[in-house]
Amino acid sequence: MHQISRRRFVALTAAGVAVAPLPVWGSAAVPPVTAQEIVDRIQKSIGGEWNNPKSVDGFKAGDPSAAVTGIVTTSLATLDVLAQAVKAGANMIITSEPTYFSKGDTPVPMVRRPGAGRPPVAGTPGANAAPAASATPPEPPPLVPGPPDAVFTGKSDFIKKNNLIVWRFSDHWNARTPNPFAQGLVDAMGWTKYANGDATQVNIPAMALSALATHAKTVLKSRGGMRVVGDPKLAVRKVALLPGTTPVEVAIKVLPGADVIVAGEVREWETVQYVRDTFDMGGKKALILVGRVVSEGPGMQACAQWLKTVVPEVKTTWMPVVDPYWRPTL
Amino acid sequence: MSTLTAGEVVARMKANHGMAWSERSRRDTYKFGGPETVVKGIATAMFCSYQELEHAVAAGCNMIIPHEDTFWRDDDVVTTVSGDPGYAKKMDFLREHDMVIYRMHDNVHALGNRDFTYIGLARALGITQYETTTLHHFQLPETTLGEMAATFQKRLGDKALRVVGDPKMKMSRLQLGVGYATPNVNSPDVDVVVSGELQETDGALDDPEYVLDANTLGIAKGWIMLGHHISEEQGMLEMAAWIKGFVPEVPVQLVKVDEPFWVPK
Repeated sequence: MHQISRRRFVALTAAGVAVAPLPVWGSAAVPPVTAQEIVDRIQKSIGGEWNNPKSVDGFKAGDPSAAVTGIVTTSLATLDVLAQAVKAGANMIITSEPTYFSKGDTPVPMVRRPGAGRPPVAGTPGANAAPAASATPPEPPPLVPGPPDAVFTGKSDFIKKNNLIVWRFSDHWNARTPNPFAQGLVDAMGWTKYANGDATQVNIPAMALSALATHAKTVLKSRGGMRVVGDPKLAVRKVALLPGTTPVEVAIKVLPGADVIVAGEVREWETVQYVRDTFDMGGKKALILVGRVVSEGPGMQACAQWLKTVVPEVKTTWMPVVDPYWRPTL
Repeated sequence: MSTLTAGEVVARMKANHGMAWSERSRRDTYKFGGPETVVKGIATAMFCSYQELEHAVAAGCNMIIPHEDTFWRDDDVVTTVSGDPGYAKKMDFLREHDMVIYRMHDNVHALGNRDFTYIGLARALGITQYETTTLHHFQLPETTLGEMAATFQKRLGDKALRVVGDPKMKMSRLQLGVGYATPNVNSPDVDVVVSGELQETDGALDDPEYVLDANTLGIAKGWIMLGHHISEEQGMLEMAAWIKGFVPEVPVQLVKVDEPFWVPK
């Protein structure tokens, strides 16, 4: 895992390297595959409905009719990952998380009204959770494009200049059984032989919570994103794997059947307090948070493996994301 | 012995609030006990965890005024936890010690420039003197993100603090958030956001990814997440002092607990 240095990134952006090489089709015996054709194949292989308007999956940038020179899967299409894709000659990026810094995933920042900040979220000031006096709450002001933002622009320009195509693949990949994100974590942790159909629940040989945390940290190359609740000496055997983001309702349902939950992210004022209280009241339970993006890495590695069977003629590579977090040491 | 009731304490909080008190808040209500409960002592607390309840009882307090939820959900609706053994145990403890819980959340954040959580956090971070005329914005002597994070970590004793951004980036313009109320890091007049927590992605602005990409483009941005608990617990000291000012009959104090996390080596 390496990050592209800022100097190298600038070189990639400025120099002629910028345009991804055209695919070399040998004797033209293999016709080029477009991004749309790849998506069609993925949809057919996955099956089910693909018309849920609430799904975040879909094209976020680039021309779906362009020929694909190579595919990169990742949990987060950072500029660093995009630059590595360009360097590797790939022009299609398949990501499980947004590219343009929000669920809306638009190449320009959107605001509720010009100059407005984040809309109120439960648990924040401003989100005064009083039920509205009338039965119908007032409509929030519509999202409008905000002022230009150098980071949005820089990323959008890089994608355009390099003719990259970005496709988000989260909801439908996550809906598979066994869950590929959980299975990816199971495999990465070396627990494949303990998985029994449901990758979200694995019984491992008992080990101390501290040893498990250290193992996860090593395997996931965690820098500073990992945090643990519970007794470091607690012997854990039943592990619940909840990559991505987990609401407290799920944690409350899962914890009684597990010794430890290994999760991507949860809300600290809900699940973290639930596990802390359970532990403080004598329950032998623990929680390991590894970070949302890091937790989805192995699942996107599994996605790259799977794509080799769906699009065998295109080279597919997984690009791990460096743990976004670090921390000083006290 | 004082016959002060919880209802009287809440009435005095309303009377001394000085801003529009939200009567309709779902958060700021009794979570256990009620206005008639007789108060022996008052404990302000960040959460209403079992450990904080135990500390409060040990200190002779039966009225808890926490900032956050009691039953592990923001709305404290107990349908999902009513069958949980922890719920029964917590309820037993509350009954046994004749406790009363009144949450103070929305009406703390409604205080604007007197919001205890911001005042307490700025004090604990040692940045109060650098606040600008813009609320929650601070102009610090220029430093690097790495030095800033290390300094804050030492001041708070915050083992599980997390930082996004190049430690060598130069920082001076800081915007403070608390808890989950984390301001967008892409404001042009802000180098670094310091707050409690926020979801990593799929939000209104995914700050970690934004900071990573900003740094790749050579734009100085940093993001320091202190943890929800540590970021707002500081201000519960200010809240205790405020209550003490109009409740002379019983002891009022902050009950502190350690941050919930430890970090692997």
